[in-house]
Amino acid sequence: MPAKSIAQEYIKGLWKENPVFRQLLGLCPTLAVTNAVINGIAMGLATSFVLIFSSIVVASIKKLIPSQVRIACYIVIIATFVTMADRFLQAFFPPISKSLGPYLPLIVVNCIILGRQEAFSSKNSVGRSLIDALGMSTGFIIALLILSSIREILGAGTFLGHQVMGAWFKPWIIMILPPGAFMTLGILLALALFIESKTKKKTVKRTV
Amino acid sequence: MSLSSRMIIVLTSVGIISGGFLASVGHLTKNRIALNKQMQIEEAIISVVPGTSSSQKLYEEKDFIIYAGKDNNGNLLGYAIYTSGTGFQDKIELMYGINPSLTIINCLTILEQKETPGLGAKITDKESFLKYWENRDSSGSLSLHKPASSSIEELSQAEINTITGATISSEKVLQIVNLSLEQLKSLKKDGKFGSEGKDAS
Repeated sequence: MPAKSIAQEYIKGLWKENPVFRQLLGLCPTLAVTNAVINGIAMGLATSFVLIFSSIVVASIKKLIPSQVRIACYIVIIATFVTMADRFLQAFFPPISKSLGPYLPLIVVNCIILGRQEAFSSKNSVGRSLIDALGMSTGFIIALLILSSIREILGAGTFLGHQVMGAWFKPWIIMILPPGAFMTLGILLALALFIESKTKKKTVKRTV
Repeated sequence: MSLSSRMIIVLTSVGIISGGFLASVGHLTKNRIALNKQMQIEEAIISVVPGTSSSQKLYEEKDFIIYAGKDNNGNLLGYAIYTSGTGFQDKIELMYGINPSLTIINCLTILEQKETPGLGAKITDKESFLKYWENRDSSGSLSLHKPASSSIEELSQAEINTITGATISSEKVLQIVNLSLEQLKSLKKDGKFGSEGKDAS
């Protein structure tokens, strides 16, 4: 693999390797908590916190960990940061902690985090792992924001709790229920593939 | 060093260090979390028994607590009842305020719920649900107005409006309150509480 520049390392998380739209990782929280924008943002930030810090820790102690027990070590490290985030939100932001419910502790099993440790942090330097984690986090937050914006606007007529649709608008209740999550994600994934195929054709033409 | 002993050492030390971190984070946040819970209960008492300056726990059993709300002069303003029960998905914890003679419910507030977001979770919303709980006649048991009515005038004094699309959650809240009303009245009859302080009204 050719060495990438720092900027490329960051930018790949936004689109080319976007954890939700391109890698299809971390879909469980993506589907579950995106019924309101504020929940999406809180989930995105909590996941980012865990991802960034576990990437730093894993990258810095990667040489000490025997490969046979690496997954167990990663999980313990990730679980530690998740519990810290959970306690912190409970103590200082009880309303957010309440609305995220069980999905906050479930960040432990979010595949984005374990996936990045296994695929990236365990093979790269601390600095690069940090940049990679930042990029992936941004990509994840963007995906949650898009999904939760669509669902909150169509499902409740509001954005971050503020009314954005006129009185004529009747909220599509299905959008804030699980089926709405699956449909929105499906359409967005199709769109992402469509855009990807278009841009690929263009680059091919250019090289020809 | 053999591989297995290295594995054991690494895993153990990762576990110990993580445990240490968690213990300290837990210790740092423990008081704050307990304080939040306490504050939530106190705020709820003040909101359901307006004018309360001091509250006192009178009676407690599983999923059922009676608090007395008193004003500055120690007059009894009303009781705040904490109770809980099964909702559509998980436990619903709520608190309501009732006058000293147990005939009028002041208002109701939901403390904890895990109902369907956007539907059942509307039980925490003032406009769609909680406003219908203000000043209800609780001398008998309450009933639900189905289908949902658009104006509060259509409801009788002992009726609560349903949330459109979340009948079960509305029903569950009603059941929890009705059950606790019965319990409350029988406790008062048995003289388990009700003799403390003067009636302000």
